[in-house]
Amino acid sequence: MFEPRVVCFFCKWCTYAGADLAGTSRKQYPPNGVAVRVNCSGRVDPQHILWAFREGADGVLLGGCHPGDCHYQDGNYNTMRRLSLLKPMLKELGIDPDRVRLEWISAAEGDKLVSVMNEFVDEIRELGPMTVDLGEKLSGVEAPPEAKDVKIAKQSKAKAKKK
Amino acid sequence: MEHRIGVFVCHCGTNIAGVVDVKRVAEELASYPGVAFSTDYTYMCSDPGQNLVKDAIKEHKLTGVVVSACSPTLHEATFRRAGVGADLNPYMVEIANIREQCSWVHQEDKPRATEKAIKIIKTMIEKVKQDEALEPIAVPVTKRALVVGGGVAGIQAALDIANSGHEVILVEKEASIGGHMAQLSETFPTLDCSQCILTPKMVDAAQHPRIKLMTYCEVGDVAGYVGNFKIKIKKKAAYVNRDVCTGCGLCSEKCPSKTDSEFEEGLATRKAIYTPFPQAVPNKPVLDAEHCLYMQSGKCGICAKICPVDAVDYTQKDEFVDVEVGAIVVATGYDLYPIINIGEYGGGKIKDVVTSLQFERLLSASGPTSGVVRRPSDGEIPKEVVFLTCVGSRDPEHHKAYCSKICCMYLTKHAMLYKHTVHDGQAYLFYMDVRTGGKGYEEFYQRAAEEDDVLYVRGKVSKLYEEDGKVIVWGVDTLTGQKVEIAADMVVLGLAMEPNAQALELAKKLKIQVNEWGFLSEAHPKLRPVESLAPGFYLAGAAQGPKDIPDAVAQASAAASKVASLFAEKEYHREPIIALVDEDECAGCRVCVSVCPYDAAEFDEEKKVAHIQEAICEGCGACIAACPSGSVTQKNLTDDQLFKMVTAALED
Amino acid sequence: MKIPYYPGCTLHERALDFDKASRECARALDIELEELEIWTCCGAVFPLTTDSVMDILAGVRNLAYASRLGDKVVTLCSFCYNVLKRANKVMRDDPEKREKANLFLKADTDAREGIESYLKEDYTGQVDVLHYIEMLRDVVGFDKIRERTKADLSGLKVAPYYGCMLLRPKKEMEFDDPEQPQIFEDFLEAIGCDVVDFPMKTECCGGFQIVREEDTAVACSQTVVNSASRRGADVIITTCPLCRYNLDELQKKMEKSVTGFRKIPVIYFTQLLGIALGIDEECLDFSDNYVDPRPLLAEKSLV
Repeated sequence: MFEPRVVCFFCKWCTYAGADLAGTSRKQYPPNGVAVRVNCSGRVDPQHILWAFREGADGVLLGGCHPGDCHYQDGNYNTMRRLSLLKPMLKELGIDPDRVRLEWISAAEGDKLVSVMNEFVDEIRELGPMTVDLGEKLSGVEAPPEAKDVKIAKQSKAKAKKK
Repeated sequence: MEHRIGVFVCHCGTNIAGVVDVKRVAEELASYPGVAFSTDYTYMCSDPGQNLVKDAIKEHKLTGVVVSACSPTLHEATFRRAGVGADLNPYMVEIANIREQCSWVHQEDKPRATEKAIKIIKTMIEKVKQDEALEPIAVPVTKRALVVGGGVAGIQAALDIANSGHEVILVEKEASIGGHMAQLSETFPTLDCSQCILTPKMVDAAQHPRIKLMTYCEVGDVAGYVGNFKIKIKKKAAYVNRDVCTGCGLCSEKCPSKTDSEFEEGLATRKAIYTPFPQAVPNKPVLDAEHCLYMQSGKCGICAKICPVDAVDYTQKDEFVDVEVGAIVVATGYDLYPIINIGEYGGGKIKDVVTSLQFERLLSASGPTSGVVRRPSDGEIPKEVVFLTCVGSRDPEHHKAYCSKICCMYLTKHAMLYKHTVHDGQAYLFYMDVRTGGKGYEEFYQRAAEEDDVLYVRGKVSKLYEEDGKVIVWGVDTLTGQKVEIAADMVVLGLAMEPNAQALELAKKLKIQVNEWGFLSEAHPKLRPVESLAPGFYLAGAAQGPKDIPDAVAQASAAASKVASLFAEKEYHREPIIALVDEDECAGCRVCVSVCPYDAAEFDEEKKVAHIQEAICEGCGACIAACPSGSVTQKNLTDDQLFKMVTAALED
Repeated sequence: MKIPYYPGCTLHERALDFDKASRECARALDIELEELEIWTCCGAVFPLTTDSVMDILAGVRNLAYASRLGDKVVTLCSFCYNVLKRANKVMRDDPEKREKANLFLKADTDAREGIESYLKEDYTGQVDVLHYIEMLRDVVGFDKIRERTKADLSGLKVAPYYGCMLLRPKKEMEFDDPEQPQIFEDFLEAIGCDVVDFPMKTECCGGFQIVREEDTAVACSQTVVNSASRRGADVIITTCPLCRYNLDELQKKMEKSVTGFRKIPVIYFTQLLGIALGIDEECLDFSDNYVDPRPLLAEKSLV
C-alpha cells in the first residue's frame, strides 16, 4: 500500500501542544507525518511548502491556533491568506491543491489532531504519490544544489560584492 | 565549521523503548553526517542521564546536542541547563520529541515508529547544525511604574508597588483620584460605606513618599518598550496653581457660575471653579474654562480677587512632562453605557428614569438629597420603584453581548437600601437571571428577597413611558406568562458597563490589544490574567472587563506583584529567538512594518531599511514569511534551517 | 422630475384617497410620480421562512419592473414598503437567492410573449426603495416644503403614528430609530404643526387581526388612540391604509364601549401635507373617513 509522506508545520502554542496531548492520551494515528515546530503558523512561508513538495512530500499539513486565539494576535490569519494565494499556484504547477491543508487545532484538541491526521493521510493516499517534479518545473528558479537556502547564497553574494 | 553533534536517545523506561527500537536508532544515527556521538539510556532526564550528556559533551567536544525524548515543553529547560553545566551554550541543545509525537501515538506499528523516530531526530540534527550560540536579550529596567487611572484599582496597584519599594507615578484625568467608587453609597454584600473604606486609601496614596500623584493629567505620547518607556504626560490647564493653593475653598464658594456636577451625575450643580467632591484628593480646585464667566466673557474674575494666595491663573496653559518608567499598569475603569442608546426606556428623556450611578448618589448620605431617596422630577419620595437589570447587557442584537457582571448585585443592594429608607415603599426588580457568583452574594440576594420584600420578577421590560407623573413600566413575568404593567414613581436602570471612553484611545496609543467591546485583552485568560500580550503592560480593574470592587482590588494587587517581580531583577531577559534584518538585502518596502503585531519592526529613515527592535520582537516570524526579498530571518529558525529540516523529514 | 412609483393594491382600491392626495402633493412639489406600467401585489407580508425564494418573487418582480424606469422606486403603504425594502436587501446581500430569483424572472419573461421583456439585465438590487416621506426629506427637502407651505397650521396638534412596518426590523428597514423615530416629527415641524409626542406612536394597531380577532385589533387601536388623545392630539396622521382603517373605523366600537370617548380624526400624512400646500380639498377627499376631519379643519380655518 502507498504510504504518503507528509510534512507537518505545527505552531508551538496550539497545534504542537495538541499533538502532545494526543500523545499523552495515547490516541493512535498513522506515522506518516513528521512535525516541524514553528513559533507561529504565520512563520510558514509558501516557499517552505513548495520546498517540501520538491523534496518529495505527498502532502503538507499546517496547524495553527483557532482564529482569534493566535498567540501572536493574527499570525494565523496571515497563513490563511497566504494559503489561499498559494493554492491556485499549486494548480498551475499541476499539484492538486488538496495536498496542502490548513487546520486550526488548539492545545486542547488532541482528538481533532488525530482525526485530521487520519483523514489527511487517507485523502493523500487516494490522490496517490506526487508525480510532479518541482525541481524541473521550477527550473527557472533553479533549486539550490544541496538544500541550500536561496537567501544564504544571496547574502554571501552581497557580501562578496561589498568586498 | 566541523559539526560534532551528540545524539542521546532516551528509553523513558518502556514508554519509548517499548515501541521504538532505541538501540537501532542510536546506531543508525551514529553514522549520520555531523554526528560525533550517539547513545541511548533508560532515563535521560535522571541525574545519571544528565551526567551522561554532560560528560559526553566534554569528552567528545560536542558542538551541539539532540536529546531524543519527550516533548520539549517538558525537558528542554532541563537539558539546556545540563548543556550549560558542560560549558555548552544552552541554545545548542535541542529536543527531538519521539515520545508524545511518536512512540505513544504509533504503538501498533513498531517498525514504522522506529523509522519515524529516526526522521524526527534527523530534523533536529539539521536544526542544531545551524543553531547559533545565543544569549538571552538583556534589557535594563527603569524601576519606576506608571499607573494610569486613579480609581480603586489604580490606587491599590500604586500602593502595592510603592510598598514593595518602587517609585510610582499615578495619573488621573479628573481633578481627584477615587474614580467611580467614590460615588457609591454602600457596597455589597457587607454594606460598608464606600467612602469610609476608600478615602483612607486615597489619602495613603497621596501621602506615600514613593507615589507621585498627577491628577488632572492625561497620558500623551508613549515611546519605548518594557523596562524603558518614555512617556509624555499632559498636565491639563487647571487655571489654578495647585502647588500654591491651600484648598481653602473660598473661590468655589464665591463663584457665581454653576453647571451640572459630573460627580453627582447631573443631580446637583457645581461651580465653575470646583473640587469634584468634599473628600477629593488632592483637595484643590480646578477651573472649568467652558463655564467660567471670566474665561468666556472677560467679566467676573471674583476667584482671582478673593484667593488669599493668588493661586488662580487665567493664563495657564496645558503643560507636558516627560517621565521614564519601566512598567505601565492600565486601570482606566469603566463608564455606564449611555442611556441615550436605550430608546425603549426613553433614551434619557424621562426624568424619573435614572441610571444606577445616579441612584447611588440619591442613596449616598453625602449626595444631593443627603441620603433621602427623592425622585428627580418633583423631589417626592417614590413609593414604587422598579429596578431593571441587563439594560444594554446580554443583548447581542442591539447592544452589548456580554454580562456586566455586577448589576444583579448592585440593583439588589439598591432595592435593599431603598427599602431600608422607605419602609412602606415597594421595590420591583426585573431580571433575566439573578447572578450571584461571589462570597456572600447569594445570601445577600436571599436577604433582599425574603427579609426586605424586594419583588423579583423574571422577565424583561419592553417599554417605559411617562403618564400623569408616573413612569409606566410594560414588562412580562415569564414565570407566569403574564403581562405586567406597573405605574412606578421611579425606575432605575442597571446599564451595561463599558470601557471608559478615553481608554480605547489610550489603548491604541499604548498599543495594547482590546477585545471586540473595547475591554483590554489579557495575555492568557487563565494563566496570565493581569498582563497584556505586549510586554511591560499590566491590567487592573474594570478596564479589562466588568468586575466588582473585590475583583478589581485583587487584580490590582496581582498586577502590582507582576510589576514588582519585573523590578526585582536589574535586567529583563528575553528569549533571543527573534527576527533580524539583513540591511544589505532589505529594499525598504516596509511590509514587515505593516505585518508586525507588536510594532517591533520599524523603518530606519536614515538608512532606508527596516529594523527590528530586539526588546519588543516576540519572534512570531510574521515578518520573515512576509518579506519579499528574504532579508528578514529568525535566529535559530532560519529559512535554511527549515528547508533542511523538511528535507530530513522526507529522507528515506 | 419623474420618480417611479409603486402604488400597491390597496392604494388602487380602498385607499384611493391616499393615492390621490399623494400624487397631488408630489405635483405641487414639482415631482411626477410615474406609476410602473405593469406591477403586481407585493406579496403583502415578508416571508418568515428563510429557505424559500418563491415568497419574495412578487416583490422582486416589481423591483425589476421599476429598474427599467430609474434607480429609485417610491411607495406609500407601510406593508409594501416593508416587503419591497426587505426583498431588495435579499437581492443585494444573498448571492444564492439572487441567482435563483433571476432564473425565475427569466422564465417568467419568456412565458409572457407579447409583453416586452422587462428584464434587460439581472436584477441585483440596483433600485433604491424609498418611502414617500423619505422622498420628501431626501429628494424634495423639508426646507422646500417649509417654503411652499401656504396654510397656517400652527395650533393644530398632530400626533404622528408610525406603526410597526415602517420601522422594523431595524437592521433591514434602516428607516429610522424604531424606539425613538424622528422623521415624521421633522416633517410636521416643517409644515408648521404642533407635534404631539405620544408613547404609543410605535405600537401595533392590531394589523390583520381585524380579520379574525376583532377584539384584539380594537384593544390595540384603542391603546394608540387613547394615548394620543391623552396627550391632547387634534388629529393622528398615518402612512398605512390598514393602520388608518383600524385607528379610524374601530373608533365606532370604542365610542360604544367607553363613556366619554373622544373621537380623533385619523388622516394620511399626505392629506395633511395637501392642506399645508393649499391643495383643493376636493383632491384630498375626506369622504372615506369614519371620524370626519372636516369640522376640525373648518374650525381651524383650514378648509
